[in-house]
Amino acid sequence: MSVQRKMKYKNKKLKNFLMNKIFLLSGLALFLFSQAAQALLFKAEEFTLPNGLHCVIVENHKAPLVEQMLWYKAGSVDEQKGKGGSAHLLEHLMFRGTKYVKDGEFNRIMEKYGISDNAFTSFDVTAYHQFADVSKLEVLLALEADRMENLNFDEKAFEAERKIVYEERMQRVENNPSSPFYERLRMMLWGDNPYGRPVTGMPQEIMSLQYSDIMDFYHKYYAPNNAILLLSGDITSQEIRPLIEKYYGNIKPRNVQREKFEVNKHPFYEILEMSLPDVSSVKVYERYLLPKHSELKNKIYDYLVLSEYLGGGVTSALYKDLVVQQKIALSVGASYNFVSNGESVFAFNLIPQNQQKFEREEVIASLREAADKAVKNMDEKRLTQIKRKMSADLVFVNDNPKDAANWIGAMLASGFSLEEVQNYESNLNAVSLKGVKDAYESLKSAPHINGILLPENKIIDRGVEK
Amino acid sequence: MIDYSSRRNRFSNYCKWFLFIIFLACFGYHAQDIWLRFNQIDTENILSASPMKNKKFSGIVQEVKSSGLSAYLLEEHSVPIVSINFEFTNAGSAHEDEEKQGLTAIMTEMLSDGAGQYDAVTFRDICEEYGIKLGFDTGADEISGYLHFPKKNMNMALKMLDLVLQKPRFEKEYLSLRQQQLKTVIKMSLENPQSILADKFSEFVFAGHPYSRTQADMLETIDNIEEQDMREFMKNHLTSENIIIGVAGDISINETKDILQKIFAKLPKKYSGEKMSEIDLELGGREYNVKKSSAQAITIFAVGGTYRNNIDFYPLYIANYILGGSGLNSRLSQVIREKEGLTYGIYTTLTESDAAAMIQGSYSATPDNFNKARKLLLSEWNKMAKEGAKKEELQQAKDALVSSFNLRFASISGIASMLTAMQKYNLGKDFLEKRNDYIKAVTLQEVNAAAKKYFSITPDFVSIGIETKEKQ
Repeated sequence: MSVQRKMKYKNKKLKNFLMNKIFLLSGLALFLFSQAAQALLFKAEEFTLPNGLHCVIVENHKAPLVEQMLWYKAGSVDEQKGKGGSAHLLEHLMFRGTKYVKDGEFNRIMEKYGISDNAFTSFDVTAYHQFADVSKLEVLLALEADRMENLNFDEKAFEAERKIVYEERMQRVENNPSSPFYERLRMMLWGDNPYGRPVTGMPQEIMSLQYSDIMDFYHKYYAPNNAILLLSGDITSQEIRPLIEKYYGNIKPRNVQREKFEVNKHPFYEILEMSLPDVSSVKVYERYLLPKHSELKNKIYDYLVLSEYLGGGVTSALYKDLVVQQKIALSVGASYNFVSNGESVFAFNLIPQNQQKFEREEVIASLREAADKAVKNMDEKRLTQIKRKMSADLVFVNDNPKDAANWIGAMLASGFSLEEVQNYESNLNAVSLKGVKDAYESLKSAPHINGILLPENKIIDRGVEK
Repeated sequence: MIDYSSRRNRFSNYCKWFLFIIFLACFGYHAQDIWLRFNQIDTENILSASPMKNKKFSGIVQEVKSSGLSAYLLEEHSVPIVSINFEFTNAGSAHEDEEKQGLTAIMTEMLSDGAGQYDAVTFRDICEEYGIKLGFDTGADEISGYLHFPKKNMNMALKMLDLVLQKPRFEKEYLSLRQQQLKTVIKMSLENPQSILADKFSEFVFAGHPYSRTQADMLETIDNIEEQDMREFMKNHLTSENIIIGVAGDISINETKDILQKIFAKLPKKYSGEKMSEIDLELGGREYNVKKSSAQAITIFAVGGTYRNNIDFYPLYIANYILGGSGLNSRLSQVIREKEGLTYGIYTTLTESDAAAMIQGSYSATPDNFNKARKLLLSEWNKMAKEGAKKEELQQAKDALVSSFNLRFASISGIASMLTAMQKYNLGKDFLEKRNDYIKAVTLQEVNAAAKKYFSITPDFVSIGIETKEKQ
């Protein structure tokens, strides 16, 4: 989940139904198992400047284009309690002027040179990105480096931007009738942990943010030694490195300390059942809290293969069983998100076919039974087939240069090395049948919750502990 | 004796102090401006000294003909992938029988639910194992399809496409599943005030025309759809007479010819649907409010626009770009978002479908801000009609549109769909070479004439969430 500075306008053609994709989950996990690599995934090189800025250059010479992405290792989890939304508001204010660029000028320059730009904030990271004709690259470097150390906006810009992010929250969250359920579900899974709070901050938090809160956050986390620079496109490391040094090389590093958060690792099970006005359909969610990728190491690939096998689209075991054969579900899916500094999360989602007579216990039990059966029946042949599928379209990641910047940046900012990104395919191929079955077994002792979203009805029942 | 000199001195001292204070006041106020005048980042200078120079994208569009069909092809061999994009014109949801709304949505979904010897699961298993991405989409006017695949799996990819077009299974079991799913998707979509508003907007603006059909209407007719309806619709509407094809990537002219001959030439020869008759839109000055409570009010506003092949197109495109089309720099974004913080986003855009062209815009805001934003919007709208654009704004717009030209070549699939669009709008095979000249040739007089012609009309506003008393 992330929030963006600029609105993306939806095509009005609402009659475009992705019926098999009723549940589109947080982008990257899906991206990871739907796309992927050859021996080495990308033609990429990395180096680190003396001030600590980690740079990765990816070559893609199809068209004279370049994507710059600067990832700061700071997001909503780094906010002080009660200051929810500061990382996101800072992201907006990064466009409102520096000591050397007037308010409004950044946007004007972007437009003049035909540069498409935006930024987003999520739990762990804040990223700024621009896509441009390669001849304009030096302007991108100059402006992005400038705002890493020279941010300078006035009170008026601050006031306006705070109102804008408030409106953004109203538009994206408050205008969606299901939002209270999803925010509550997250909070229940994570407990008293910053990953349980919304990236946008709560409305009253947003309006109470002060100028100094934003500058404090900026000075605490925005530094070359806490950032990753991705450049992807029609460039070579050799020609680009001197330019990177010219603009980013003189920025002073800071002493950056990020807090580490502990979650409740004792197994717990809770149910959230919430009925909301304007919600039309029953939906069932299951979320498991698993260790961080840094603890799981290569076991993350076992979970990835497991999620693909069980619930990766219409050819998956659960879809065949629950949707096509048993006709219990209209849609079912599984996903695994490990691209984070926090705990990784394994998730199931299901829309029951019988919406009128929905029996909570029954549906949850069928989901569990179907998954048990599927894992028991999984054999070497199917495992090989799943791995082949997951590798088959890795060739597409080298099409659009923006994809490489996105993927590598997200993984590096969550603590992976470039080598691990590059070896994605071989790591995937090393997964064994036992590994996948063990991964499934481990879910049983992991903290988990069920969330049931219901239309109208008035029962709100907050769970039981086991 | 009066000491003039001392008085003069005192006077000149006052003057000095006075001037100093004025100076301080001015300098203080403009401190940042003055600082910036000497210290700003000079992007023009940076670029003129930069080693990164302009390069032209080397791709050339070729027209490939075979078996009475033609396709645009752009060869690009740097990544071993191929994209085929195609569109059946006059075949979208507006062409469905009124009693069978939802037919194209169901049909396009079911095209990959098994074909020939393969059932749905096997069919999709094969596609996934070979990295073949095959899918269809339906708009109001057209049905579009895509096939992306790794070059090494070309034979298998083409076989799957051929099966889908020749022998779709349309099995009963899947039909009822797809019907149920579509109904649920629509209901879920209509939870959102934005979707309700989109429905109501079409209903209001296109009253009496198939474009006015809504998702809510579709809910009532989905269950009427039968296998035979889909087969018939395919026979009449998915033909070689109304197909447009764009091909891009690691593929040659001969291979493209082969595809035309072996796959698309096998489609039914004769299109037997009906073309959409143009709607005589009379937009302007009307107001329609959908009653519903929501955190923000949302509005869609519109006036009549123009088609791509009309002489007004480029001037109007630029006028709209300046008013509300260019993102955060547009006049509307500047005044309503950047200065006042009244909304997260406001935009206007030119829309074009077979039977109607509009200038359409939208924004959403909490109730307090909603009306303030609307006043500012109307005042900018009128100003554009009366005064037009400034010379510098036109220059900035042209610079932007010319400099961003190469961005469209980012991905092979993007290029393939651009090739289809070029044919759909009759832009010509040489469009990519000429496009920047079309932009550069637009004059300030033309922009202002178009602005006057189109923006002198106050838009229709269709809104939701303004009146909340009665829930709908």
